[in-house]
Amino acid sequence: MDPEVQCSQIVKFARLEDLLALGRANSLWPLTFGLACCAIEMMAAGASRFDLARFGAEVFRPSPRQADVMIVAGTITKKMAPAVKTLYDQMPEPKWVIAMGNCAISGGPFVYPGQYSVVEGVDKLFPVDVYIPGCPPRPEALIEGILALEKKLTGKRRWPEVKPPAASESV
Amino acid sequence: MTPAEAIEAARRAGNETFILNLGPQHPATHGVLRIKLTMDGEYILRAEPVAGYIHRMHEKMGENRTWAQYLPNTSRIDYLSAMTYTHAYVAAVERAAGIEVPRRAEFIRVITSELNRISSHLVWFGAFLLDLGGFTPLLYAFDDREKILDMLEAITGSRLTYCYYRFGGVYNDVDDAFLGAARDFVPYMRERLKMYETLVTENLILRKRLEGIGPISKKMCHKYGATGPVMRGSGIAYDVRRMEPYSVYPELEFDIPHYPEGDCMARYRVRMEEMAQSLRIIEQAVAMIPAGPFQTPGVPKSLKPPAGDYCFAVEAARGRLMVRIVSDGKEMPYRVRWRTPSFCNITLFEEASRGMMLADALALLGSLDLVIPDIDR
Amino acid sequence: MDINKPNASQGVVSPSLLAEHPLAHLVIPFEKVDYARRGVHFEARVEPAQVVLAAALMEQEGFALDAVTGVDWPQDNQMEIVYDFFHPMMGWRTAVRTRVRRDLPEVPSIEHIYPGANWHEREAWEFFGIHFSGHPQLTPLLLPDDADYHPLRKDFAVA
Repeated sequence: MDPEVQCSQIVKFARLEDLLALGRANSLWPLTFGLACCAIEMMAAGASRFDLARFGAEVFRPSPRQADVMIVAGTITKKMAPAVKTLYDQMPEPKWVIAMGNCAISGGPFVYPGQYSVVEGVDKLFPVDVYIPGCPPRPEALIEGILALEKKLTGKRRWPEVKPPAASESV
Repeated sequence: MTPAEAIEAARRAGNETFILNLGPQHPATHGVLRIKLTMDGEYILRAEPVAGYIHRMHEKMGENRTWAQYLPNTSRIDYLSAMTYTHAYVAAVERAAGIEVPRRAEFIRVITSELNRISSHLVWFGAFLLDLGGFTPLLYAFDDREKILDMLEAITGSRLTYCYYRFGGVYNDVDDAFLGAARDFVPYMRERLKMYETLVTENLILRKRLEGIGPISKKMCHKYGATGPVMRGSGIAYDVRRMEPYSVYPELEFDIPHYPEGDCMARYRVRMEEMAQSLRIIEQAVAMIPAGPFQTPGVPKSLKPPAGDYCFAVEAARGRLMVRIVSDGKEMPYRVRWRTPSFCNITLFEEASRGMMLADALALLGSLDLVIPDIDR
Repeated sequence: MDINKPNASQGVVSPSLLAEHPLAHLVIPFEKVDYARRGVHFEARVEPAQVVLAAALMEQEGFALDAVTGVDWPQDNQMEIVYDFFHPMMGWRTAVRTRVRRDLPEVPSIEHIYPGANWHEREAWEFFGIHFSGHPQLTPLLLPDDADYHPLRKDFAVA
């Protein structure tokens, strides 16, 4: 019996694939999907001091049909979940998801035994590519998340990672 | 005309009405608000706000957390004006338990609350202009806001959802660096406000889009309990800092800006003037802040306020915030009720938007300055 | 279009103003309350049937509606509803409280007096199950449309 053919694309290129990945990584168009507090830090990341535009990602698209990456910034409630799923389904391939903030990762500070309204993490609805912890994460953390997504796409990191000074030095 | 009559009139005139969903994902709703609009072409016949898409169970969580464990929740109800929300909750519990707050802490609370108010109004300013189609003021406003956030981050550790106040004071003292930065920020921001006045407020396009649009009468404010800049933009000079004075506001001189027109431009002007008045308050508070303790000693870690119910009201950036706590003498609240300004402000949207064109309704929505988790809690 | 200084009558509520009881003439008795401790100046406890009269009196005296709060008291087998009012001109704060049976919580709606009560009452119904008779639309406000549970009741548990 033939094994089931599962591929994300029907046509695959070789070197051109790298070029496409580089293009996609450097011009990720996010969907404006700020739900709660993290949305403000996302806006701050797009504003002048942190400037997402340097990474090609400042063109926030309100329409999911025109967006590549859905930055889920905020808490997903059970009432909102069908809308989020619809938006995800409406995004054309290739698409990625960044879960920004603790609420999008696992429900955040609103999880307690007996809670009735919050979906505990956006990965309960659809697959997530990058998780950015924080409540809310700093704009620099969002930029690091975008860089991590770029690395996932191209295999290479745009800037080298900055390692904090060794513990013995800082005492 | 009531919505039902308007829809009937449209049908009789041979026009087909349709239902348009504004949100819950929409760039101009500032969060997840859904408004079901019944439209006759470009005109709104009925607007029905549907809330609950960011209902995060704040009131139920009050019953599942100890009095102190609930503090981080308070910031997340209205994250733009987080200090004032924590202030209301902390002051209500202090009222209940009879905890005194040292004068230095009260001044610190006022300075941080007013800085927070300015940063909240700056976000409103940027987002409102963005809705109307002007992208640039957002970038300037956020840059000014970053200066405030730097100051607040140095003493609280957070940029947005602070958890700075404690029962009986604040958790960290402010140093001279912070007071110096606050002192220097005042003239800097005054220059920036002048710039916003010339570039934005006097802009012809903005004036045509806001003047005369979305009139809200005094009676409408009263019927729906709308407060804050919405009420002050309709001519009623009601500010909780004056009518139910708290903290050290009675010792500080500031005006209550109010305009009689009731249109979007009046509400816009009220908020711009409020930023100027907040700068006045900060200037005075920084000059008057005494030395002393920043927290009352001896507040038990496991606080158990006496049984009964208590309430406290503050002037948040969006309007009157009142928190009502019911204690049964245990370590967890029995009930926490948040009367939030956006919840009451949005109830008048249905009546105010009848017969408006969609673009004007968005100007009205932006001028109400809603934060949706404030509605849903 | 200038900033007007607030006029003298919109000042701080001075203690002498409260020495005489400004609500003493109302048919429903409002007691003076220690504002510094409780946060309200006057409070009245009424039967559920008198709630509409109390709201009408508040409206007539110029108060605006602040909040409608439900509180569940299973140990008393009752539910309490607290109506908070604030006066935009004078700064007074009043509370009107009523208690209803827990197994059949029903109280008349004040939506026709204060349209702002529409959403407050809808929320109290949604979270406690308190029925506000005469309310035009007791459907879920903050919970999903098909919600059939009342989360703020003390006996609420997720299925």
